[in-house]
Amino acid sequence: MAMQPHSKKRVCYYYDSDIGNYYYGQGHPMKPHRIRMTHNLLLNYGLYRKMEIYRPHKATADEMTKFHSDDYIRFLRSIRPDNMNEYNKQMQRFNVGEDCPVFDGLYEFCQLSAGGSVAAAVKLNKQASEICINWGGGLHHAKKSEASGFCYVNDIVLGILELLKYYQRVLYIDIDVHHGDGVEEAFYTTDRVMTVSFHKYGEYFPGTGDLRDIGAGKGKYYAVNIPLRDGMDDESYESIFVPIISKVMETFQPSAVVLQCGADSLTGDRLGCFNLTVRGHGRCVELVKRFGLPFLLVGGGGYTIRNVSRCWTYETSVALGVEIANELPYNDYFEYFGPDFKLHISPSNMSNQNTPEYLEKIKNRLFENLRMLPHAPGVQVQAIPEDAVNDESEDEDKIDKDERLPQSEKDKRITGEGELSDSEDEGEGGRRDNRSYRAPQRKRPRLDKDLAHHKDDTNNEDSKDDVKNVSNLEEPKKEATPSA
Amino acid sequence: MVLAERSSDVRNGKRSRGPSPNGHGSPDSSSEDENAEKIRVGRDYQAVCPELEPVEQRKPEQISDRALLVWSPTSDISDIKLDEYITTAKEKYGYNGEQALGMLFWHKHDLSRASMDLANFTPFPDEWTVEDKVLFEQAFQFHGKSFHRIRQMLPDKSIASLVKYYYSWKKTRARTSLMDVVGEGRNATGSGTGKRESGAGSEQGVSDKDSDNDEKGEGGGGASKWCTVCGILCTQTTPHNSQKLCQACLVHARRTGTMRPLCGPSGRRGPGKQQRYKHRLPRGIYINHDDLVAMATGPQPGDPPQPGIINQGEAMLKAMDREIISLKRQVQQNKQQLSAMKRKVGDAGVEELRPGEPPAKINARWTNDELLMAVTAVRKYGKDFQAIAETLGTKTEAHVRTFFITYRRRYNLDAVLREHEADRGSANHIQQGTTSTEGADNVADNTSGNGTASPQANAKDEKTEVDSEGVAIGASAEQGGPPTTPPKHKPAK
Repeated sequence: MAMQPHSKKRVCYYYDSDIGNYYYGQGHPMKPHRIRMTHNLLLNYGLYRKMEIYRPHKATADEMTKFHSDDYIRFLRSIRPDNMNEYNKQMQRFNVGEDCPVFDGLYEFCQLSAGGSVAAAVKLNKQASEICINWGGGLHHAKKSEASGFCYVNDIVLGILELLKYYQRVLYIDIDVHHGDGVEEAFYTTDRVMTVSFHKYGEYFPGTGDLRDIGAGKGKYYAVNIPLRDGMDDESYESIFVPIISKVMETFQPSAVVLQCGADSLTGDRLGCFNLTVRGHGRCVELVKRFGLPFLLVGGGGYTIRNVSRCWTYETSVALGVEIANELPYNDYFEYFGPDFKLHISPSNMSNQNTPEYLEKIKNRLFENLRMLPHAPGVQVQAIPEDAVNDESEDEDKIDKDERLPQSEKDKRITGEGELSDSEDEGEGGRRDNRSYRAPQRKRPRLDKDLAHHKDDTNNEDSKDDVKNVSNLEEPKKEATPSA
Repeated sequence: MVLAERSSDVRNGKRSRGPSPNGHGSPDSSSEDENAEKIRVGRDYQAVCPELEPVEQRKPEQISDRALLVWSPTSDISDIKLDEYITTAKEKYGYNGEQALGMLFWHKHDLSRASMDLANFTPFPDEWTVEDKVLFEQAFQFHGKSFHRIRQMLPDKSIASLVKYYYSWKKTRARTSLMDVVGEGRNATGSGTGKRESGAGSEQGVSDKDSDNDEKGEGGGGASKWCTVCGILCTQTTPHNSQKLCQACLVHARRTGTMRPLCGPSGRRGPGKQQRYKHRLPRGIYINHDDLVAMATGPQPGDPPQPGIINQGEAMLKAMDREIISLKRQVQQNKQQLSAMKRKVGDAGVEELRPGEPPAKINARWTNDELLMAVTAVRKYGKDFQAIAETLGTKTEAHVRTFFITYRRRYNLDAVLREHEADRGSANHIQQGTTSTEGADNVADNTSGNGTASPQANAKDEKTEVDSEGVAIGASAEQGGPPTTPPKHKPAK
């Protein structure tokens, strides 16, 4: 894929001035205010005037049910802090109440966030813009009928669905410290969207994102997970990001890209555990931008809000191809950026538990998976024939007529569990988020019962696969995996 | 992107509660479904991808934007002009940057029409009155960030408005004035004259007491810097009728023949008290009698009533706040420019840009150009031969000395020296005059003397900034320094 030099592009930016006024609740780390802080910095840096600025419409229930279930959206629309008590049962069902609290204006907040991403996607469809930005979006955990991880409505999925009307293949990249499970799940069985997520894995929310989760059915090999450990720094991140993304671009040949820029992968994040600087984080934007594809940038996590706004401001400047000074301009929230009042931040001295060897192994394993992809057809409009997906492993063609069964995937993995778990060295010492971690291998997944009969077929050849896994990824440290 | 209560507790210990204000349920009854840790497959989980629209059926121009364009960039207006326009809108009409650009966009990027229209649509002033703000602070002390509860005390505000105000107030409440800091420090050491809630309050209280004191124990000793009538610290006092007066009192006395009325801090105090007084007022803080009067009295009869502003004092403070902000903006802008220049210069620093040949080319012969330059240098540096040698670049200090002796007569260097001295003298005079110019001059002197900012210059500049109460005056000091040699700025990394 042709690389383009650092260049000036037409950039559209979506923002609603109300979005900073929503408040998740006392002590809740998610603060929509960070989007306003970013906006104010952009304005005072003089970046605002270089972009087309749009105030997005509020996404309608109709638009949101393009992905979400009707009853879930109906529920979001009707629930308020003062009538929560009447909805106890539904709150449980839709996972609303704790991580995802009911707050004043919840539905409007979802409307604005989703409205921005959908409007941005529409803009890209009209080929009226090369880069669209919606820092209010990026809520990648939301599921079809379930809130999760501070996310209620998955604006990214809605945006990608819009893009799919005009683009045959859409690449989704996620550099949030958490796994982009909502988006991955939504497109787990399609070959038109490839999801690539770089995330901390092992006793960490949401618990998914294993290296071996590669998609199912037609979507097999179209989900790419890069499980990482604590302390990722700029250098390591780039050393894995560049080869993976280049390879993905080469084999998948997307016609549009969506990048989720969750800023909780920055150093010093309240919930994150990576050690990236604003520069290292922004480097990803720069690298993706160079491919010159229609490009949608969305926000995401990020809980140390001064750094979030620094990061997204810098990334906006990267999108614009404009250099901005390290000294922050005076702005409405200037005091938040003390004591140094600089744009860039320094990494901490935390140790990086991702050794070059570990990253190399992951990379090789993922390259193997990517090699399984059929080379993307030259004609964009032509759909990929179903059985072309697995042209390198004939065995699977026979059994892969329908959607892949999670249960079978689960079963095949039990063999190698001890050696394979990425979290084995973290069993002790009260890691964060461990309440959400359970050894996933033993859990019976939620799945449609009618699919279960495929189980036996898949078992044989998959265990073959598994042996490969073990030899590739065996880790030096071997402790018993804590299992719930 | 999620948390877990425990996680953040372990990390920074800041949170003791769950993320939800409605948090019923222990952390263990986790909100994640157990099964949520697997990617699930089935109709209930996946999105249904839409068909790709065939190219010939696409009508992109007919799709609605689903968003309202509020600004689009233009190449017709230069950045400088745009900046000027925004600054005017901000400082003259109270717009924010976004509103100003919105106005310009509405006028289809017609700068002159937009500028004329600015006055017609001044944005609503801050709808938060002083009462609202006080009420908010009280409510916040009671309820913390439970905006629902706060709202019960401020029923006419929406939650959104409360949240917005909270975020703008949050950091500023931490602002302590220099006066408070000094006051606290003194209270801590126990030498204070009692409890002080705020600097302003204490000032008022003490001055009441002091004004009871005898009016005659005055005038002598170290009081030269204190106006004997209004008692403020000033840089220059003028003797008048056996009193030493500040400028304001002097004008008043000359015009009316009487002393200025006293309602500010009194100046009549004995030497001992004076000592105390000196402690109370940190360097750089001055009280102006007229300001005090203005603060204490209500709106002047002739003044048009302004919404949200109760008295003149508040209006004055608002104006000062605006000024501070505009100066802060300037400071940051200057810093940005400095760092941009630094970057341009690169790692080599200013060394490369320095004129003059390397030391190897030092030549004892004086060319006409050098002679001319040397005379100019004397005019500038006086007998600082080293500085002159450095400026010339082709001569050693010894050469310059010889030059001075040889050409003293011929070029009438003594006269030049006198001019130099005269300049210095007036500079010194200004230095005594105001603190701000002192800073500026120091920086200028240092930098032009050495070519680079010396540590001394740094120290001085920092001192100036502290001395003269924050940014306002620090800013002017920085502006005074030549831009190529930032006095207190670390290179951008």
